[in-house]
Amino acid sequence: MNDPLFEVEHLSLAYPGRRGQRLAPILKDVSFTVERGNALTLVGPSGSGKSSLLRCLNRLEEPTAGTVRFDGRDIQALDPRRLRRGAALVMQTPVVFEGTVRDNLRLRPADVDGDLSEARLGQALVDVGLEGELLDRDAATLSGGEKQRVTIARALLGDPRALLLDEPTSALDPPNAALVVETVSRLREARGLSIVAVTHQPELVRRLGGMLLYLVKGEIQAYERVGDLDTRLQAFLAGERAAGVADVS
Amino acid sequence: MSAGVIDLSLWQLALALLLVAAVAIVSIRQALGLERDLLLGSIRTIVQLYGVGLILAAVFAVARWYWVVLILVVMTGVATHAAVSRLPKPIPGAYGIAAVSLFVSTGATLAYVIGVVVQVRPWYEPQYIIPIAGMILGSSMTSAALAGDRLQGELRVRAAEVETRLALGFSGREAVQPLMRSALRAAMIPVVNGMMTVGLVQLPGMMTGQILAGSSPLLAIRYQIVVVFMQAAATALASLFFIRLIVDRYLTPAHQLRRYLL
Repeated sequence: MNDPLFEVEHLSLAYPGRRGQRLAPILKDVSFTVERGNALTLVGPSGSGKSSLLRCLNRLEEPTAGTVRFDGRDIQALDPRRLRRGAALVMQTPVVFEGTVRDNLRLRPADVDGDLSEARLGQALVDVGLEGELLDRDAATLSGGEKQRVTIARALLGDPRALLLDEPTSALDPPNAALVVETVSRLREARGLSIVAVTHQPELVRRLGGMLLYLVKGEIQAYERVGDLDTRLQAFLAGERAAGVADVS
Repeated sequence: MSAGVIDLSLWQLALALLLVAAVAIVSIRQALGLERDLLLGSIRTIVQLYGVGLILAAVFAVARWYWVVLILVVMTGVATHAAVSRLPKPIPGAYGIAAVSLFVSTGATLAYVIGVVVQVRPWYEPQYIIPIAGMILGSSMTSAALAGDRLQGELRVRAAEVETRLALGFSGREAVQPLMRSALRAAMIPVVNGMMTVGLVQLPGMMTGQILAGSSPLLAIRYQIVVVFMQAAATALASLFFIRLIVDRYLTPAHQLRRYLL
């Protein structure tokens, strides 16, 4: 059981302020682990540093202090490009590039090899609940939910060990959000992926299970198993659900 | 050479000032509020051009290479400042980058035009090198500013696209490549378009000047052709150097985008 994929210790992050001098603190002394094949959901009010924390895990952000270990190695010692293929980030607003869905799925650095056969691309679409025929579609014509699932498929084609999801459902309407929740939780089980997800969706938290980290103003307020959340967190999640109907932040 | 040139006396210049009076009347009647700037602009036009004229006359008279180089350095300095101050958002180190870009692009183009194409001897003959350097610097400055402005805009609008590529394992340079391309295009398109209509819409300034000074139009156009080509080269070189160096300010060695600079 004790087999961590991510080990985060005393992580702090600050941005240079407006005038370049003062540092604006984003994360303060954050520590947690993510078990292999398990999930961690990051919740908290907006501006609490959830997305920044996620971006520290694949080193899109450079922490000001603390360490992040991925698969037992300090990520400072890894080539960031390899780290990012091992810990694939899916953003809140899906970015698809000009061209077909196939072009989008094949998008990867020239020096990276791997199977990008038609069969595998088609399977990648099926894995995220889309149809294989979608390969020839112009990516710009996809719905929001389809785009998001194509970006998940694109991330999976790099054979990552972890999926980092930054509010994967917040830009989607409820039916599409439900599809993405379904897709992600199925993938975790089927592939033994570790998943770190920033979310406002109680449904996603419940389906992913694992641990929940409640962040307020860059500090950990709670770090608990999803199965036995205390009443305060249950209330927070319920509130998110109530608010989530109208407010898609 | 000056056979056909009509001398301009001070009172004739004063008559030209009446043209500005026409602008002032338009500004006042239409409530444009431009009178103050117009006055300042007119004074600056006179003072700056007289200043430059006096300096040039002195340099032409002595024709020493070090005076010419000094003037070129000052011109590059002013162009650097102008290019950087046109960036919508300050970038740390932009001055050094602009100075290097303008120096390299102007230096290379100027050396080729003076040394190989026109074959000016000695190379520092002020009558040739100073106006030619001025035109090259002008193009370099404009294109560096345009490219920088466009790159900043692209980075702001397309940051998510860049980070998506980074997240897929692309290097920083690879991730910003499409944005660099569109910034370079933005800088070069005006020059290429200008080449399409040159001479048809208006006669270029230098050619006009040469013709006024008594050159034959056929010689004037030859010079103008050289000028158009050298400006194209300077534009390409300056925007390329500027963009390549400036884009590194936005990227870290760990292939991260410095979002706080956007």
